[in-house]
Amino acid sequence: MPVLVGAVLAVALGILAHRYRPLRTSILNLTSWFLTIPSLAFFALLIPVVGIGDTAPIIAMTFYALLPIVRNTVAGLTSVDQAIVEAAKGMGMGARARLIKIELPNAWPVILAGIRVATLLIIGITAIAALVGGGGLGQEIYSRGINRIPSPGSLEAILGGTGIIVLLAVIVDTIYLGIGRLTIPRGLRD
Amino acid sequence: MTDTMIELRELTKIYPGTDIPAVESLTMDIPRGEIVVFVGPSGCGKTTSLKMINRIIEPSSGHIVLDGEDVTNVDPDQLRRRIGYVIQQIGLFPHIRIGDNVATVPNLLGWDKERTRARVDELLDIVGLDPDIYRSRFPKELSGGQRQRVGVARALAADPPVLLMDEPFGAIDPITRTRLQNEFLRLQDELQKTIVFVTHDIDEAIKMGDRIAILEQKSIPAQFATPEEILTAPANEFVEDFVGAGATLKRLKLTRIREIDIIDDCLTGSITEDKHTLRRKLDESDWTALLLLDEQHRPIRWLRAPDFRHDRPVDQMGLPAVAFVEPHATLSDALEEMLIGSAGVAIVIDSRGTFQGILDIDTIINSIQLMRDESAEFYRAEKLIDPAEVVS
Ligand SMILES: Nc1ncnc2c1ncn2[C@@H]1O[C@H](COP(=O)(O)OP(=O)(O)OP(=O)(O)O)[C@@H](O)[C@H]1O
Ligand SMILES: [Mg+2]
Repeated sequence: MPVLVGAVLAVALGILAHRYRPLRTSILNLTSWFLTIPSLAFFALLIPVVGIGDTAPIIAMTFYALLPIVRNTVAGLTSVDQAIVEAAKGMGMGARARLIKIELPNAWPVILAGIRVATLLIIGITAIAALVGGGGLGQEIYSRGINRIPSPGSLEAILGGTGIIVLLAVIVDTIYLGIGRLTIPRGLRD
Repeated sequence: MTDTMIELRELTKIYPGTDIPAVESLTMDIPRGEIVVFVGPSGCGKTTSLKMINRIIEPSSGHIVLDGEDVTNVDPDQLRRRIGYVIQQIGLFPHIRIGDNVATVPNLLGWDKERTRARVDELLDIVGLDPDIYRSRFPKELSGGQRQRVGVARALAADPPVLLMDEPFGAIDPITRTRLQNEFLRLQDELQKTIVFVTHDIDEAIKMGDRIAILEQKSIPAQFATPEEILTAPANEFVEDFVGAGATLKRLKLTRIREIDIIDDCLTGSITEDKHTLRRKLDESDWTALLLLDEQHRPIRWLRAPDFRHDRPVDQMGLPAVAFVEPHATLSDALEEMLIGSAGVAIVIDSRGTFQGILDIDTIINSIQLMRDESAEFYRAEKLIDPAEVVS
């Protein structure tokens, strides 16, 4: 969920940052600034606003997802060969058609890589979400594991939870490989 | 319908943040159906001048008139769909297939699918690529030369009357470049487009241009004339330096064999004649050698008097005929054939191999001399009428 919202928002921001140079540094700075807030502190900051529960982590994670995606969107669009942009322009393709038909498809592999990194980042952070009452695997590690050390079964819970997170990351990575296969035009793959 | 397709009127471009114009007050008439080549040293403003025509670069001042219509302020996207555009880097879209690349402008113009598909196949055919093989390939699956062909096909897709080409054959190996140039000239014979062609290579300019604009800094035309005039009557020292040494040799590339008087009364004999007849022919003539032709009048051997001393069949006497050229070949080609074949003459044959005549070094030298005189006469005559036009 956060990834999806983050991705849509981030690609939009990335396009904006690419189009309007003056905005570029501020957008990039802002998104990297989010990432420097420790996740715990970020959750804590959001709790007074949205209360304890799923909402705070989801909002926070959306923000975390922004940086890698925005950055890769900008990088992807910038790396599109200027010659093909000029060719498109020279044939009378308008700015919007150029963006949708030429620039985004050619930047897509890089953008997708950003989304993948964002997802993995978020899976890692998810673990911590439990602290503030969000559910998920973090709960397994935290409440049944760390909290209950040294009671019996606590270590198993920690390892099991961690193991599952790692497994999840591997599975997600594989899924992205598949998405890449499906969505990256054949002419761009090598 | 006027004879001028593109009128450039006092076009000036001053890039933001610079004081000196990249192009200053460029005024030029580009005739309908001709290839006009912009040539000049690096940084003189060729690309800037070209890109102002389709307003990829907006002029700072001045006007562009296309086929009688002032297009300086019309919608640039609409304008560009009427002007084919080929750039040095080709710029094929890597994420879509060749067919879709070629279909770019038809799609923008909203052609129906059937018409677009037919046109794509037709164009691939025209540029020498089998549609069934290449239509569904991706650009990365093509060689550099093939990609450049697709670039030309794409530019021609909606049959625009005007084509702009910025160093279209620049990034290609010399052999492929020569082939593409020749193919393109043949294509242009049929299409009769108005073409503005940018290069920094004077040889390419001479080969491709119906007219050449040699540009100095800020795109100021040092001379705007036919290749012949530029080679034989350079307007000033700049042009002379730019054309460089070997202007005469370059002229050889301009002149085709069919344009000059070849020797068509030279001594020939037929393989059907017997040895004695051939010998008598040779003795009675002023020629030192006889060219033996086969039943289809194709040259096979050179026979000289001493060759008749050996007791050999006629078709094994003398030396094999070498250095064949066809009438559309240039004098430069003929000279090269002579050098390669170590022959004193080149033999002109038609496409079926039938003998037409011969060509020796003297013929070549004479024709150059003749052209030089004619051109100089023409130049002087024009100068009397309107000095400004010639020197500009
Ligand atoms: N975007 C730009 N901003 C500022 N100056 C530019 C820009 N583009 C070109 N120039 C300058 O304008 C002049 C003409 O450039 P242009 O690219 O038209 O030259 P050219 O004749 O095509 O050269 P070349 O043979 O190297 O391609 C050069 O001095 C160049 O530095
Ligand atoms: Mg240039």
